[in-house]
Amino acid sequence: MNKPNFNNYLNESLNTLDKDIAPQKDLWAGVERAIINSKTAQINTVIWPKITVIAACTIAALVAVNIFYITPEPQPVVAISDYFSAQKNSLLVEYKNKEALTSNWQIQLQELEEAEQAIKQALENEPQNQALLTMLAQIYQQQLDLINKVHAPRWQHI
Amino acid sequence: MLHVKSEQTPLCEAALIERIKSGDQAAYATLYELHVKRVYGLCLRLLADQAHAEDATQEVFVQVWHKIALFDGRSQFSTWLYSVASNVAISYLRRQKNWLQKVVSIEHSGMDEQSANDCEGLNGLDKLIVRLPERARMVFVLFAIEGYRHEEIAEQLGMAVGSSKSQYHRARQLLQEWYENE
Repeated sequence: MNKPNFNNYLNESLNTLDKDIAPQKDLWAGVERAIINSKTAQINTVIWPKITVIAACTIAALVAVNIFYITPEPQPVVAISDYFSAQKNSLLVEYKNKEALTSNWQIQLQELEEAEQAIKQALENEPQNQALLTMLAQIYQQQLDLINKVHAPRWQHI
Repeated sequence: MLHVKSEQTPLCEAALIERIKSGDQAAYATLYELHVKRVYGLCLRLLADQAHAEDATQEVFVQVWHKIALFDGRSQFSTWLYSVASNVAISYLRRQKNWLQKVVSIEHSGMDEQSANDCEGLNGLDKLIVRLPERARMVFVLFAIEGYRHEEIAEQLGMAVGSSKSQYHRARQLLQEWYENE
């Protein structure tokens, strides 16, 4: 028997082609796992910045109370620095293996760290200056926010 | 795993999508059942590799879960889903290439004849399509099966419109050659 002409074969095949092909594996299990995992990751990334902000506010309040009511010779710069360094390090460790959303976040972080150093230098001359202490706390907070933001889960940005 | 008929009315599907938008995973499982074969078929034809097609299909459904809020209902859900699927498959293929293949634009060859014949779910023309080289295969699948225009294909694949047309011509020539030598 002769084969049909190629053009006829192609047209006929395309017209009758079944676009559905059943996968050999059950793929739903993997999809379900990915969805559940990303939900957990989303919850974490929603909760962590909030925890950080609450902790930062608590520490700032404690430092303020310490400055005004308790300690006669306080060291607020040291207290703030110690607290935020610990926060920053724990975030950096947490996100160590996560891919960042932008490639230049470390440059941005470096700029914030330079600002931090400049304020600390100014505080050496005026250790009780409230405006400088507030600025320092804000700079620290910006660093934490930056680290959190650039490590948001991948699926949110597709 | 839910088993549903694939003849879902648009109205039912719209209700399903609303439930999915509010985070209903059971509704998503139903939607998955409705479309998985079509999505897998598209991925298998584009990628010409069963394992890659399975991975890409899963990636499509994970992405769609996260992007479903972007679906505004102005087009058919299936149209939107299949465009996500073709984009995922195309970027999946790009990610599989090593740096040398990217630098010198080496394309993946398709399946060999034996693998195409052994591949589950492929019949007739499909067995020839998966043997096509990468660019010719992608253009052929998107143009002849999925109904995209060459302008759209050129944009999706990052090539000139003329290249898309010549790849389609190349695909037809190869298919004809194989068909006549079968």
